Amino acid sequence: MKKFFTSALMRGLFWQLIGWIVGALFVTGVRVLMGLNPFVTGQYFFTEPAWVFGGLVGAISYVASTGAMTDWFKWAKGEEVPEHREDPPGWEKYLNVSLDHKVIGVQYTVTALFLLCVGGLFALIFRTELAHSGLQFLTLQEYNTFMSLHGIVMIVGILLGVAGLMNYLVPMLIGAQDMAFPRLNAFSYWVAPPAAVLLLSTLLFGGFDTGWTGYPPLSERAPLGMQMFFLGVAVAGWASILGGLNLLASVLRMRAKGMTPFRMPIFVWAAIATSLISTTATQLIGLSFQMVMFQRLFGMGFFDSEKGGNPILFQHLFWFYSHPAVYVFVLPGLGIISELMPVFARKPLFGYRFVAMSSLGIALVGFLVWAHHMFVSGMNPYLRIPFMFSTLLVAVPTGVKFFSWVSTLWKGKIEAPTPMLFVIGGVVVFLLGGLSGPPNATVATDLHLQNTYWIVGHFHDTMFGGYIFPFFAAIYYWFPKVTGRRMNEALGKIHFWLMMPSFLTLTLLMMRVGLLGMRRRVADYDPALGFDNYHLIMTIAAYLIAISILIFLYNLIVSVTHGEVATGNVWNSRSPEWQVPSPMPVHNYDQPFEVIGEPYDYGLPGSVYIKFEDKKSKGH
Amino acid sequence: MEHTNKSDVLRQGVIVFIFLAVLTALEFFVAVEIGSTVLLAMIAFVKVGLVFYYYMHIYRLNVQDEDLDRHSYQYKLGTSRIGLWLFLLSDAFIFGGLFVSRFNLLGLGPLPLSSDSQFTALTITSVLLLSSFFMNRAEVSMEHGDRKGFIFGISLTILLGLVFLAGVITVEWPSAINAGVTPSSNAAGAVFFIMTGMHAFHVLTGVIFLSIVLRNGLRGLYSPEKHWAVESATTYWHFVDVVWLFFYPALYLIGKLI
Repeated sequence: MKKFFTSALMRGLFWQLIGWIVGALFVTGVRVLMGLNPFVTGQYFFTEPAWVFGGLVGAISYVASTGAMTDWFKWAKGEEVPEHREDPPGWEKYLNVSLDHKVIGVQYTVTALFLLCVGGLFALIFRTELAHSGLQFLTLQEYNTFMSLHGIVMIVGILLGVAGLMNYLVPMLIGAQDMAFPRLNAFSYWVAPPAAVLLLSTLLFGGFDTGWTGYPPLSERAPLGMQMFFLGVAVAGWASILGGLNLLASVLRMRAKGMTPFRMPIFVWAAIATSLISTTATQLIGLSFQMVMFQRLFGMGFFDSEKGGNPILFQHLFWFYSHPAVYVFVLPGLGIISELMPVFARKPLFGYRFVAMSSLGIALVGFLVWAHHMFVSGMNPYLRIPFMFSTLLVAVPTGVKFFSWVSTLWKGKIEAPTPMLFVIGGVVVFLLGGLSGPPNATVATDLHLQNTYWIVGHFHDTMFGGYIFPFFAAIYYWFPKVTGRRMNEALGKIHFWLMMPSFLTLTLLMMRVGLLGMRRRVADYDPALGFDNYHLIMTIAAYLIAISILIFLYNLIVSVTHGEVATGNVWNSRSPEWQVPSPMPVHNYDQPFEVIGEPYDYGLPGSVYIKFEDKKSKGH
Repeated sequence: MEHTNKSDVLRQGVIVFIFLAVLTALEFFVAVEIGSTVLLAMIAFVKVGLVFYYYMHIYRLNVQDEDLDRHSYQYKLGTSRIGLWLFLLSDAFIFGGLFVSRFNLLGLGPLPLSSDSQFTALTITSVLLLSSFFMNRAEVSMEHGDRKGFIFGISLTILLGLVFLAGVITVEWPSAINAGVTPSSNAAGAVFFIMTGMHAFHVLTGVIFLSIVLRNGLRGLYSPEKHWAVESATTYWHFVDVVWLFFYPALYLIGKLI
């Protein structure tokens, strides 16, 4: 227990609190010297600039106190640091700064699961409120805060989950010992927990009622919680930016011998496409939020039309990241689907090159579609048409993926253990999400669908199909690689068969009430609309999903220590990481391997993907 | 290392600097006499091209070192360069966003600054340009083992960086505020202060980075073969300069002057 309380995680929390107070006191002191009012008589004691500056200092204190930056300080002082640092055995390494990409990957994934559960809990709270028309137990402000927090906590959770998958898998898949910059990798992870603390702290500062989009002018007037939200997203953004940068450098420089671009595992292609977006576009959401933050703090009138500002500009800057962001979420998920499907269909992946290029295609077209969120915003109407066409263009590379998946399954010897169930489930749900997309991209129909539950249903289908289902598939699939044990198959199947129908019920009903005129993001609806029964069923479905997640968590925790031992090639995969025993050794591969064949030639006799270099020949 | 003869490389740095100085003067002339935004943009791109190639050595990214040992210093140097350029690419998106905001909010019109600002801006632009020149000399000196030249160049760069910062914060900002352009007065003021402020913040981090390099350089931690810290600080410094190459015309020159 002592080891838990002295871990970097807990130490960071302590110092974050201290830093927060010190920062707030500093600004308060400056205000005294400037002759400004040092405190507000309202409920939050310190002034808004004091809280915001304190929040920033607190986040930096967290990262500094964990030791994630210690090696850089040593470099600045001109001291030598060892290339690798060995982790202590046991569970403590997961709570402390580690340079091992596998440990960091697990850290990311566990943090992501935690945040996804928190975000899900928020959803359950306001879903319960919605089960019946009229306000039951939440005030409007509370409803809005839970609704907004559900959005952003889920988004940060998914981003961390994406980083977890990419961190754990990519170095193993390309045959590297670690990422290109292990210290930067550790740093990227350790900025995430303080960001999560900042986001959750909004609850203590009156919440915020803008939804996760934070549009001004509403975000200009929202309670203090708004600022903590902006700060939290800006800090979390750095995890995404630096993680993406690291991954790109790793893939460019650390691939095994013979692994030409078109012999890389397909997930690596997806990771590249994702990282290209997250490295670059993420800056724009940070910037747009920073501008609103400054507008609140210093009265800078970027988005204030009284001062000649333009609120639409915010939406442009915001969606320039936030639309590609959904591709950051789904591309790795779709990569997992393409990665696992050949393993369980025992057939080569159909159209490997096209699938690889489709990931890049989605990422690049994704940069050109942002204004389709703004058809009713009041922007120049002539912009609608080019953005409509660029958005519809996304369907082409996405269609390529579906074509590949269906053709891979065609005449395959399909096995369906839990990971494959989630892969198929992901394809089905993502298909629904995909098909409900073009009506939103088409201006004529979007003018009616905008801001209805139809959009909510569409969005949740794409997120679950494109990310959550594949994420579960990946966890079930690579769990033996991490722990050397398997997760319980029966519980996994219950998880799937409970979640899948509940989820479809939920989102299809969302789309139905949306088409009938149910507005999104509202706490209440008119009973005369006749939606009460639909909402009740949706709430029940949401609870069933929650139960299935609890089953999953139970399975996950128990299997770490009590799962069936599985150290070999459990899924009979051709991928390099399964050719060495589980759990993965500390430095991945004792012997480097050389790629001598195609990655997905399942079922073709005599085909080989990789060959390990001979141990003896290396000694001589 | 591409050029073995040190004096050739130094001469090249001087020629590039003269080109940049002439182009800056031309830029000012274009702004005053012609007022063509397109011409200003073209000049800015030419300047950026020169800095990218001759000062930031962008061609070094394209190296064929597949056969090198993955754990060798040379191979890791290549990886580090890619990492740094990716970071600069990412950072460029912040500045790009600010740049777009400026044109979205103010169109192609000038900022309502006083004519004193023109003089200050041209002066600090020259200071930054000069600092880039000495930065380049410092790096070249390091590559050729001239420790004295390195210390001299980097010290002067830091000094010029501080002069630039002082120029922005103690001369330019008060003069803008006197002209009625304050952060909270209007959108033009907001744009002016966030653009100059964000850039000044990067100059400040650059000065800190260079000071660390100078200190470690004085202790003799770098050699002609191993000086990634020097190279990265140099590249970062030139990048901050490149940002100003766009910000200067966007803030001061666009819209017919006088």
